[in-house]
Amino acid sequence: MFYSVLTLFVLSFIGFYLGKRKSIKLSQNSKLASLPSYYGYLAMLYILIPTLFAWLFLLVGENFILEKYLTMVLKDFLIPMNESEIQLFFIKIKNLSEGASFGNETDIELFGAQKIIDFKNLFLSSTYFVIFLVTALALYLVNKKISPAFKSQRHVEKIVNLFIQLCSYIAILITVGIFLSLVFETINFFGYVNPLDFLFGLNWNPNRAFVIDSSDVIDKDILKDAFGIIPLMGGTLLVAFLAMLVSIPLGLMSAIYLAEYAPRKIRDISKPVIEILAGIPTVVYGFFAALVVAPKIADLGQYFGLDVSSESALAAGLTMGVMIIPFVSSLSDDVIGAVPQSLRDGSYALGATKSETIIKVILPSALPGIIGSFLLAISRAIGETMIVVMAASLQANLTINPLEPTTTITTQIVTALTGDTEFDNPKTLVAFALGLTLFFATLLLNYFALRTVKKYREQYD
Amino acid sequence: MVNTIITKNLNVYYGDKQAINDISLHFLKNKVTALIGPSGCGKSTFLRCINRMNDVIDICRVEGTISLNGLDIYSKEIEVEHLREKIGMVFQKPNPFPKSIYDNVAYGPRIHGITDKKDEMDLIVETSLKKAGLYAEVKDRLDDMGTSLSGGQQQRLCIARAIAIKPEVILMDEPCSALDPIATSIIEELITDLKKSYTIIIVTHSMQQAARVSDKTAFFHLGNLIEEGDTSKIFTKPDHQKTNDYITGRFG
Amino acid sequence: MTNLAKRKKAELRFKFYGIFSVFLSLLFVAILMQNIFSAGIGGFYKTVFVTSIHFDQNLLNLEDNPSEEQIKKSSFRKLIKYNFNELFKEYSKDEIKQIKKLFYRKIDIELKNFLINNPEFLNQTTNVDLTTSTHIDQIHKGNFDRTVPEKQRSVNNLQLNIYDKFIDEKKVKKVWNSTYFTSGDSRDPESAGVASSVMGSVFTILICFLLSFPIAIFASIYLEEFAKRGKMTDLIEININNLAAVPSIIFGLLGLGILLNFFGLPRSTALVGGIVLSFMTLPTIIVACRSSLRAVPPSIREAALALGATKNQVVFHHVLPLAMPGTLTGTIIGLARAIGETAPLLMIGMVAFIMDIPSNPLEPAVGMPAQIYLWSESSERGFIEKTSSAIILLLMFLIVVNFVSVYFRKKYEKKW
Repeated sequence: MFYSVLTLFVLSFIGFYLGKRKSIKLSQNSKLASLPSYYGYLAMLYILIPTLFAWLFLLVGENFILEKYLTMVLKDFLIPMNESEIQLFFIKIKNLSEGASFGNETDIELFGAQKIIDFKNLFLSSTYFVIFLVTALALYLVNKKISPAFKSQRHVEKIVNLFIQLCSYIAILITVGIFLSLVFETINFFGYVNPLDFLFGLNWNPNRAFVIDSSDVIDKDILKDAFGIIPLMGGTLLVAFLAMLVSIPLGLMSAIYLAEYAPRKIRDISKPVIEILAGIPTVVYGFFAALVVAPKIADLGQYFGLDVSSESALAAGLTMGVMIIPFVSSLSDDVIGAVPQSLRDGSYALGATKSETIIKVILPSALPGIIGSFLLAISRAIGETMIVVMAASLQANLTINPLEPTTTITTQIVTALTGDTEFDNPKTLVAFALGLTLFFATLLLNYFALRTVKKYREQYD
Repeated sequence: MVNTIITKNLNVYYGDKQAINDISLHFLKNKVTALIGPSGCGKSTFLRCINRMNDVIDICRVEGTISLNGLDIYSKEIEVEHLREKIGMVFQKPNPFPKSIYDNVAYGPRIHGITDKKDEMDLIVETSLKKAGLYAEVKDRLDDMGTSLSGGQQQRLCIARAIAIKPEVILMDEPCSALDPIATSIIEELITDLKKSYTIIIVTHSMQQAARVSDKTAFFHLGNLIEEGDTSKIFTKPDHQKTNDYITGRFG
Repeated sequence: MTNLAKRKKAELRFKFYGIFSVFLSLLFVAILMQNIFSAGIGGFYKTVFVTSIHFDQNLLNLEDNPSEEQIKKSSFRKLIKYNFNELFKEYSKDEIKQIKKLFYRKIDIELKNFLINNPEFLNQTTNVDLTTSTHIDQIHKGNFDRTVPEKQRSVNNLQLNIYDKFIDEKKVKKVWNSTYFTSGDSRDPESAGVASSVMGSVFTILICFLLSFPIAIFASIYLEEFAKRGKMTDLIEININNLAAVPSIIFGLLGLGILLNFFGLPRSTALVGGIVLSFMTLPTIIVACRSSLRAVPPSIREAALALGATKNQVVFHHVLPLAMPGTLTGTIIGLARAIGETAPLLMIGMVAFIMDIPSNPLEPAVGMPAQIYLWSESSERGFIEKTSSAIILLLMFLIVVNFVSVYFRKKYEKKW
């Protein structure tokens, strides 16, 4: 695959030189409408774009065509098998064709593997063939087009502009992709579990689903009480709440102190150091939470005679809170800084102290912006994964006691997909349903957060 | 003729740059004194020294004495918040708080603990708004946002806010420069009325305004006090050539 | 005046809360750093026993002047047995078995490598640094509680006595743990290293950069310089802002659903990991690039246009180069965040046990954060240390990246 891409690029560069050379030759007789390089670029693009498309098309189609081909060639053998057996067989001969052998393959498996190898070789040669064919065609077309009067620069620029326009649509594509992949699999999931049971169920016991084999008739009653999201939401909110208890007061007060009170030197040193907290990867926080915070909390609890789990929501929540401090702090700092100096002057001129000015004038007028920053922080806390995966529990537990273990939506997404169950099982598919819920929740929060901040900015424009 | 505010050998520096050069001035009680001069000559800087608003600026250094009723305003016995209760300020661009009209006026009395009884506060707000000539226009909508008023009304609100804590002196830094002529004339009338109860020091760019409202005038140029005296004298027969040049529009 | 006094007190209290908050935040940074550092600094060293070994040619079944291949093929088991019996003559067979457990279980490979690198010691006796077992390693580094009753320990009294004896004989030393940097993952903490995860991260970030950087720049150019304000551009802007705030795990689900299931790309590879991370990094770079483009003064554009340049030429020859420093800063920030991401990579399977160092982005790989995650799941104390060491490396790298971006920012700030 790598070499075919390389060939593609090499051919394009050859096209560039050919085009440029021809235009230089032509320029000896008459004046060119554009610089020679642009004729070269035109040739290069004419080659590059179609071959790239063809290559991509073949790449994507390879697997489809391969499966169709194998099904055709091995038809008689595959008929008595069911869906999952066929999948298993395909995986086995695929691995075999790549050299993973245990020495005990049946003849039909060896045959199948050989067919895959043959097919892949044929496909590779066809890919090269297509690339060269398209290149030749492109060169022919470009050759006809290159003439002194032809404004190649304009053409090239048009193509470039189209390309960059497409690039900008990628953002939309990604969102659409997220939406499609989540919705599609969620619909699959709802084939097993009633959406109402999912959204309003109070029990989370995905292990009940492991008794199911996708070939059996599914008894939906078993699944009824297995996938209720409410305890997960409870856990997520509890941990987020604990995180906010730490990050909001510390973040806001730090921002206020650094913005209004601190001398330049202290501010210049403290701000970047606090920002370090934001740059530390979340897996490090998770490690720290599981290894240092959780045991300390458990010990502390024992000292007070409380029963504290080693996977308490408190451990995850506190650590998450520390991680979010710089988030709240820098957003609040921006917001406080945006309050015009004239308001401060007005308050000081009336004889107010600094704290009175901050509490009674600055914060109230910055309030929408500050609330916006809190909402963004909450959104961050809800979507956080690694800290809770490593420090919180896998046990669903609807509680408001921070000393108990509880699990979150993100933890369950990870658990669902890093297990051994096959893909069609509701136990795995639930990850997408959870992901969709998470996506909507954070989208809503972010929408409201950005709207409040925007409204606040407009106040001062 | 009582002097309320006296400055003696006042020098003000912004970092290394000197903004005010050895200025000694006195301001008479219940009179309006105008500070005039071309842009950047230090009038606003001088004004901001009087209620120690320059304390807010790190690089600003003040030397010399400023006294209120004989007391040095920088002395240890005086708390700056208390000083600002006695000396109020109205700014160039109206800066009402994004609160209700009522709360704007009540803010000062609240923080200084003047009263916490509702009916007493209501009276203070009403009186201040009346003195500022705004009450009639807003009496039915005291809960509306202060920022919803017109420019001229906002400035009168700021005046009401300053008056509410019963200062002795009101400093005004070009209070009409952001207002239209009609609003300006309303404020100028107000100033003439207010001087009966307060000492007013007004910085203004407009010589006509100074001539209209002030009793005394001081002319500043490049951080120096060139001349000061009765307004009528300054504008008809100034002693200094520079004053004359400025008045007649040769520069500025 | 008492009212003013009360207010002043409230002022001081408020200021104190502020100072306290800043102080606490800084304290957290310090505690975090100190914990990680003290836990992980030991991982860069390993404990060895300086053991006297006789390389008997016959026991190894080797001819004179053996080739490297021959040494590799021979079995060192008899040699080890012989040497141990010699060294610990006064102990019973059973005890010697326990003593052997003080050493890393793969010392045959270590001896093999020693002989390959120093073939002159065939039939000679010499001192060889042999890696200790992970338990001894932790004991020597002081991470082990010796007061625990014997039954609950992983090291028994006999073994501890031998260890103490070696200490007295000055046969225990700490050496630089180069295997940590050259080997991949392993079941044994003694031979586990970060090489495979470092390469995995390198490939992943490389692909992420190669994809997101150009696309982001092109998209920014289009949005800032060419696009007409309309419904389409608004929609694109909304999307970009949204994507910047979506939790990273959702991108993992996107990768799983579309890249793995629909396109059938190989699971667990740096290629897919890089593509997923590029989805995440794209909005960050776009935001940085756009604001840099906006900061270029219109005077430069006008000057170029007045000389007869086309719009494309103005943008690509003049505006973009000037916007590069700011764009690069934003890119570095985005990539630094991507380096530390774990959740989306877990979704696409980059969380396997990878022993071999990947040589291209299409091989199964694991990234450094995911390796840290995997190691942290193990309860072996040796792995705790290794995890912390990996974290130190990762953090050091991130600090360097941050300094580079700050340096760039300061250097190219507002040159016009």
